[in-house]
Amino acid sequence: MNASDLIDLFPLIIIASFAIIIMIVNIFYRKHEVNAVLAISGLLLAFMTTAGLFGSVPGRTANLLTIDSYALFFMGLFFAATLAITALSYGYNKTHEGSHEAFYILLLIAVLGSAVLAASSHFVSFFLGLEMLSISLYALIAYRRGERSNEAGIKYLVLAGLSSSFLLFGMALVYAQTGTMEFSEIASVSSASQVRSLAMSSGVLLIIVGAGFKLALVPFHMWTPDVYEGSPAPISAFVATVSKGAVFALILRFFTLIDIQADGRFFLVFTIIAVASMFTGNLLALYQNNIKRVLAYSSIAHLGYLLVAFLSNGALAITAVSFYLTAYFITIIGAFGVITVLSRADEEREFLDQYRGLAQTHPLLSGVFTAMLLSFAGIPLTAGFIGKFYLVSAGVNSALWLLIFSLVVNSAISIFYYLRIIAALYEAVPEKMIEIPLPLAGTIAISALMLMLMCLGIYPSQLIRLIQITAATLG
Amino acid sequence: MGTIPAEHALMLAALLFVLGAVGVLVRRDIIFILMSIEIMLNAAGLAFIASGYKWGQADGQVMFMFILTMAGAEVAVGLALALQFYRKQKTLDADSANKMRG
Repeated sequence: MNASDLIDLFPLIIIASFAIIIMIVNIFYRKHEVNAVLAISGLLLAFMTTAGLFGSVPGRTANLLTIDSYALFFMGLFFAATLAITALSYGYNKTHEGSHEAFYILLLIAVLGSAVLAASSHFVSFFLGLEMLSISLYALIAYRRGERSNEAGIKYLVLAGLSSSFLLFGMALVYAQTGTMEFSEIASVSSASQVRSLAMSSGVLLIIVGAGFKLALVPFHMWTPDVYEGSPAPISAFVATVSKGAVFALILRFFTLIDIQADGRFFLVFTIIAVASMFTGNLLALYQNNIKRVLAYSSIAHLGYLLVAFLSNGALAITAVSFYLTAYFITIIGAFGVITVLSRADEEREFLDQYRGLAQTHPLLSGVFTAMLLSFAGIPLTAGFIGKFYLVSAGVNSALWLLIFSLVVNSAISIFYYLRIIAALYEAVPEKMIEIPLPLAGTIAISALMLMLMCLGIYPSQLIRLIQITAATLG
Repeated sequence: MGTIPAEHALMLAALLFVLGAVGVLVRRDIIFILMSIEIMLNAAGLAFIASGYKWGQADGQVMFMFILTMAGAEVAVGLALALQFYRKQKTLDADSANKMRG
């Protein structure tokens, strides 16, 4: 461990120290504004250091963490996403009295865990990052103290605990077969000696199960709608984006190294999971009346789409995954952002009927919401379209016809329920909704997200170039 | 006295793991569900120790320490949530957590 290692770890250190700073400040002075500003400045600082480090020589810290461009790209993405979520949470938390220091501390620890996951190259850091993320999420999901949020917290806790134990047992089996917990060594051992024993494949399978729970892929998706419904809207956005993105970044790194695509059996398992996730997510979303549940089911389907790129190989696959994740992050935070700015901490506006005629009272919000839903559906001029385009081209490149077929069919199905919400937004209702004052920080955040959505949809080449540097380090 | 082969310890760990998984599925009391998850986590820990022993490395035991820490943190949050659940529902039956469906 020398000075340059320490510089590589700066983003992580900044986030951790800001969590501690908030704790210390709250001993002397408890004010919600101060806590929010501290959290935002910590995230901003971490984001800027990440951007500064981008493109530097990959650093390895005691075998546990690999800070390469791939890790830095995802860390930057998570910090930026959490920044938007914190800005949204500020107005949301303000509707409920208190200084909410626990909320911001836990949010920082959770994003620290996901940053560790993105940089992880060893089972120990994999496990530690995942647990930092999930244990803070248990508390954040149950933050509202209502009956439903308590139920959501318990459901998430039991299923996340279950998935962690599956994951750990899988890691133990892989370790028993290979004698190492480092990703690249596992890859070289398993390819050199052709470890294709039953124990090894069941270990990998258990890791897939554990990661599948976190990613809410079918058949491990049952918790998703309940947790999204029960947790505060900004936290639902966090669970849908940062938590899933971190696990996806990690399994992409791990399975690209051990070259999972080459093994026909695992390829089949992932294909079934992908197709099942797309269909289940979209079909169950069709008749939901709670918008948070619609977004939950659609996020299941979107993770299924992502698996198409995951299963194709080459640098294009990583480009597609990174771009799609970025577009998906912007879109889902924007959609939950609209719900957040319209909600109060004790009463969320989550049913479709509450959104009828929104365009009459809040034209800006319904415009943003429409753009986000169109991006989900993959309509041109939005980031979602470019993302889906890349997914399909990655799939075509590897000739995954079944997956592409179900992606296309599912995109068509999904348009139905997205348009259903949009139609409700622009419905002419006889009596106008009561106009509520919008929180400033949240409105700025969703407007910025809307702008980014359009920019990426019209002029994506800047981000693509950035991602191609990223993909080069992993491929 | 001969040494115990690592495979036997792994078998025992697998047995414990399955036992815990069955417990999670069968028991309806939240406290027992949490206990069954602990059994599964410790089974994974035992498997790590056995594999570390097989390779003559300390890594497995290090991992076990991490698992213990994490299980402690998880149970702390879990019991707090269970307490809140009991205050609201006056029961610890997991089946009464059914306010959300669809």
